[in-house]
Amino acid sequence: MASVTYKNVVKKFGDLTIIKNLNIAVEDKEFLVLVGPSGCGKTTALRLLAGLEEISDGEIVIGDRVVNDVAPKDRDIAMVFQSYALYPHLSVYDNMAFGLKLRKTPKDEIQRRVNQAAEILGITDLLQRKPRQLSGGQRQRVAVGRAIVREPKVFLFDEPLSNLDAKLRVQMRAEISKLHQRLQTTFIYVTHDQTEAMTMATRIAVINKGNLQQLDTPQNLYDSPNNLFVAGFIGSPAMNFFPAKLVKSGEKILVDAGDFKVKIPDSHSAPYKSMDGRSIIFGIRPENIHDAEFAPQNIHGEKVSAKVDVTELMGNETLIYLVSGRNTFVGRVDPRSKLRVNDSTQVVFDMDKFHIFDASAEEAIR
Amino acid sequence: MEISKPSSRKVQWRKISLPYFYLLPAFLIMGVITFYPLIYQVIISFTNFDTKHLLLGLNSPELEFIGFKNYVDIFTAALPVENFNFFRVLEFNFWWALSNVILHVPAGVLIATLLNTEGLWLKRIYRAAYILPVVIPPLVVATIWTNIFDERYGAMNQLLANISTYFGQAGPIYIRWFEDVKPPIPGFLPGAPLTLAYYAMMIANFWLGWPFMSVVATGALQSIPRDLYEAASIDGATGSQQFWNITVPLLRPAMIPAAVYGFTISFNLFNFVFFMTGGGPARSTELLVTFAYNLVRNLRWYGVAAAFAVIIFAVAMIVFLITNRITRATQNYSEA
Repeated sequence: MASVTYKNVVKKFGDLTIIKNLNIAVEDKEFLVLVGPSGCGKTTALRLLAGLEEISDGEIVIGDRVVNDVAPKDRDIAMVFQSYALYPHLSVYDNMAFGLKLRKTPKDEIQRRVNQAAEILGITDLLQRKPRQLSGGQRQRVAVGRAIVREPKVFLFDEPLSNLDAKLRVQMRAEISKLHQRLQTTFIYVTHDQTEAMTMATRIAVINKGNLQQLDTPQNLYDSPNNLFVAGFIGSPAMNFFPAKLVKSGEKILVDAGDFKVKIPDSHSAPYKSMDGRSIIFGIRPENIHDAEFAPQNIHGEKVSAKVDVTELMGNETLIYLVSGRNTFVGRVDPRSKLRVNDSTQVVFDMDKFHIFDASAEEAIR
Repeated sequence: MEISKPSSRKVQWRKISLPYFYLLPAFLIMGVITFYPLIYQVIISFTNFDTKHLLLGLNSPELEFIGFKNYVDIFTAALPVENFNFFRVLEFNFWWALSNVILHVPAGVLIATLLNTEGLWLKRIYRAAYILPVVIPPLVVATIWTNIFDERYGAMNQLLANISTYFGQAGPIYIRWFEDVKPPIPGFLPGAPLTLAYYAMMIANFWLGWPFMSVVATGALQSIPRDLYEAASIDGATGSQQFWNITVPLLRPAMIPAAVYGFTISFNLFNFVFFMTGGGPARSTELLVTFAYNLVRNLRWYGVAAAFAVIIFAVAMIVFLITNRITRATQNYSEA
């Protein structure tokens, strides 16, 4: 059990800077998810922590020890790899016992720990098998088991679920969350899948192009993204963005997107009072766009004319892809909606839940 | 579609006969140059065939069928040939092949592993350089090494002289690598004393043999996923522990067939042995194949040589069956 701190960490490969000045403080027993698109540096950040790559500048601290020059084996961490990295010539038991054997742990202690981990993961009857005789999900469990038996201070997961099919992924997600509750240890988990991040994390660090974009709880990230990237990355389907201008009309502040204008409710308009004429990007999540017929009554709704381009029935909801002039956007509406393709209609924007970003800096204005 | 019966049968016949027609030339050539001599050889192995029967062959009036006499003579060392004992030659031959493989495989793996080091400079040049011995003709290689082991002017004796001078023992060294019949390590291989010539040949053949093993090991090494080493380093394995626990077991599926191949090649390494020592001194480095050649080339005992060749064939067959077993038993770890 330990906290982990990245202090001004920089990683360069030749001339290429992969991580630019990363600062993250992971608390003890926290489940931190590093999330971002491919190539954003999140896996590199994890490998730096594991000691598989050397850091170019800055400090990484595990517990109260700076580990920059500590070998991976002495960092008291365990890592689950995307490819599982199971030793193909060893049985499941020996795969899990390998690290303990190298550390000269007594035999009965190894046996106790392996059996206990196998029980937690439900792989007791697979212990004598070779990795090639296991399914993807079973291999995944063995890889996790190999990490558990070491009883490390910090668990590292590098996209561990990306090779599993969708159903198994959901199941393993829940199991890893359960494991975290049970082990009460620091977990650091890398994924490109924002759903995984949202469902498992205590806190999420969103990374893009080697920079930390925002570090917050899943709910806060979702509700108040700091910038355009986080807003677009977290949530599925993604938030709708409209290039627009803020316009003052009497006491009211309007968002003018060219093809439509919506009014900002007085209760939210304070930060924008002095921004007449400013170029912004207006963002609204799909679930805050309603079919007029089924719109809730107690919201500050603003009507926007649009044409239905595509509809996707999901059963519990319907996604409608809308076109308004040169803007296309998605609404997640009540499944009873009678909107059909090519219908011209008016949808309702819930103006209690909008986001406004500066058009050039792409930072949230609130 | 309507096809009349006779023409359908004709089409059918052509369909069946055509492949055989195409194969016929190959069959004829194989028959003349492979099967006919093979059978002929088995027949003359039961005769006293020698130079005077060359003209008329099996039709010679004096040709006698002597049953298994040639075979018995070979096994009981009853041939009027100096220093010949079939079982000693056989034992030496097996040991020769085995000892070569025992040296070449670990050396090949070790060097391949070292050359696989990340960030090593000029890796490609090393890899190209160690392949050179394989492409040089064996006669050239044998000549070079014969010169190196020359008693008076060879590099080996000069090197040894330099070393001994360094340790205060001045004066030239004249080791008679290919003539000395006294084994330097007596009793090392009971029944088949290993002379200096054997060690000289081992050194020369080492130079010739490890690159192949290294090529195979290099290929196999590059197919071992890097994250296994990363996982092991997190698990606490040092460099040498990674080598023994990951590299070695994962190279096994590639190296065992290579070792088997190396064994068979060394077992029948005719030209190299023939050009370097000619089987000497006192037949101590004779292989089965070089002895068979002597029987024909120098003694012209065709009947005996034919019997000897049949025996070699039987031995090679047994070696093949055993090695084939080993190769097939080598399980691949790759995911099926």
